[in-house]
Amino acid sequence: MRSGSFFLHMISLETRKLMIYRVDFWITMLVNMVAHLVVLWAIWNALFAESNQQFIGGWDLQGILAYGVMVFLTGRIVRGGDLQMIIATEIYDGSLSRFLVYPRNYVFTKYAQQLGNVAPDLVQSLLMAMVAIPALGLSTTAIISPASLAMAVPSIMVAHLLFFLMSLPPQFVAFWADNVWSLSVLLRFVSMLLGGALLPLSLFPESMQQVLSWLPFVYLYQFPTLVLLGKVGVTEWATGIGSCLLWCIVMGWLAVPFWKRGSLRYTGVGI
Amino acid sequence: MARYLKLYLQFLKFSFSRSLEYRMDFWFRIVMDCVFYAVELAFFTILYQHTDLLGGWNYDQILIFVSGYLVIDAIHMTVFSNNMWWMPIYVNKGDLDYYIVRPVSSLFFLSLRDFAANSFLNLIIAGGILTWSLMRYPGELGLDNLIWFLFLLLNGSLLHYIMQMYFQIPVFWIHTNRGLVNAFFSTTKLMERPDRIYSDWTRRFLMTIFPTLLVIALPAHVLFDGPDPLVISLILGVTAVAFLGMRSFWNLALRHYSSASS
Repeated sequence: MRSGSFFLHMISLETRKLMIYRVDFWITMLVNMVAHLVVLWAIWNALFAESNQQFIGGWDLQGILAYGVMVFLTGRIVRGGDLQMIIATEIYDGSLSRFLVYPRNYVFTKYAQQLGNVAPDLVQSLLMAMVAIPALGLSTTAIISPASLAMAVPSIMVAHLLFFLMSLPPQFVAFWADNVWSLSVLLRFVSMLLGGALLPLSLFPESMQQVLSWLPFVYLYQFPTLVLLGKVGVTEWATGIGSCLLWCIVMGWLAVPFWKRGSLRYTGVGI
Repeated sequence: MARYLKLYLQFLKFSFSRSLEYRMDFWFRIVMDCVFYAVELAFFTILYQHTDLLGGWNYDQILIFVSGYLVIDAIHMTVFSNNMWWMPIYVNKGDLDYYIVRPVSSLFFLSLRDFAANSFLNLIIAGGILTWSLMRYPGELGLDNLIWFLFLLLNGSLLHYIMQMYFQIPVFWIHTNRGLVNAFFSTTKLMERPDRIYSDWTRRFLMTIFPTLLVIALPAHVLFDGPDPLVISLILGVTAVAFLGMRSFWNLALRHYSSASS
C-alpha cells in the first residue's frame, strides 16, 4: 500500500472506530455544547453588565461571545479527539512492537490516527456552529465571511499539526516514566490558558501579551479563531501560518531525541 | 461502621506504599494539579482587571470561592478519582465479580479502594490556598459562617462524587462511558463560576435537578452572608436525595450486570 492510501486508510479506520458508539457521540456533543454555551453566555453578560463597559479588550459583548464559541469549536478540532494517551499506552503494553516492524514511520501512522479522530470532532463542531452562530446575533467586532472561512481552514490544519507535535515529547517520556497522563493534561491546561482558549489574549496585561505572542500556544487557539472571525489581514495571516509551521519544525525536532533515546530503552515481547 | 473504618485504613496504607513505588508519576501529578490551580486563579485574576464585581462578588470573595472549589477538586482527585477511572474497566472486563462477592458494600469498595496519595499533597496545597484567601479577606467572617462553610465544603465533595456516579453507572448498559464522563467534566465548568451570573431559571435548575451550584457556590454564600437555614436545608436535602437515588441506580445496575463467572 502506498503512503498516501495507507494514510487515508488509517484515517477512515479511526473514524469508523469512534463512530461505533453513537449514543456516546451525541451525548458528549449535546452536554458539551449546552454547558459551554450556558457558562459563556452567563459570564460575559455578567462581566459587561457589572463593569459598565461597552468594549473589553477591544471586544463588544457579541464579539466576545462569538470568540468564545469559535475558540471552543476550533479548539475541539485542533486537539483532535483524545489520542494523547495512545502512544504512552502502546509503550506500556508493548503493542508498540508491531508498529516498529511495520514498513511505515510510527509518528506518521499516529498522525493518520489523530486525523481520523478529528472527523467526529469536525462533524460535531459544524453541527454546534449551526446552532450557536444564529443564536449569537450580530457583532461589530467579529464578522465571519467566506474569505475568513477559507483562510481559517489551513490555519486550523497547521494548528492541529502543531498540537500533535507538541504532544509527542510528553508521550515519549513514557519510555522512562510509569505514567505520563499528568504530563498530557498539564500541556492541555497550559496551552489553553496561554493560547487564548479560556480568554482572548487581549484581556491579559499588556506585558504578558508581548511575551505570549512569542510562544507557540497562540497559534493553537487564538490565531485560527481570529482568522475565522475576520480579524486577521492576509499578510498577517501568511506570517502566522509561516510562524506556526516554524514552531511545528521546532517541536518535531525536539521530539526526535526523546524517540531515539527512548526507543533504545524499549523492550516488548511478541507483536 | 468500625469494620468499614478498619478497611479504609488498609486502603490508605496500601495506596501510600504503592504510590511511592512510582516516584516520577508522584511528582508529575503534583505539578499538574498545581498548574491547574494556577490556571483557575489566573482566569479570575485576569477577568478582575476589567471589573470590580462578577456575579455580585468582589475579587477577595471570588478568591475564596475559587480556593474552595480547588479544595473540593483536590478531595475528589485524592479520594475518588482513581476509583472512578477503574470502575468502567472492571465492569467491561468482568472484574466486578471480585468485588460483588465480598462481605462489604460493593459501592463502598469500588468508590474508595484506591486513595491517591500523590494528590493528597495537592489537597494540602489547595487547603493552604484556601487558608491564604480566607486570611487576606478584608471583611469580617464569623466563626459560625466559617464552620458551616467548611462542613458544606465536605458535603460539596460528596455531591461532586454523587453527580459523577450518575455519569459512570450507565457503563453497565452502554459499555463505554468515555463520552458520558467527558460530558460530566464539561459540566463542572458550571460549578466553577459564581452562581449569580446565571439567569433565575438556570439557577433553579442548577440548584435542584442538576445541583452543581450546591457544590461550592451556595456554601460560599453561607460564608459571606451567614448560615441561612433554608439554604442549608436545600443543600443537605438535595445531597441526601441525590445519594439515595444514586444508590438505587447502582443496585439497579448491579442487577443488570453479568459476566462469564457471575
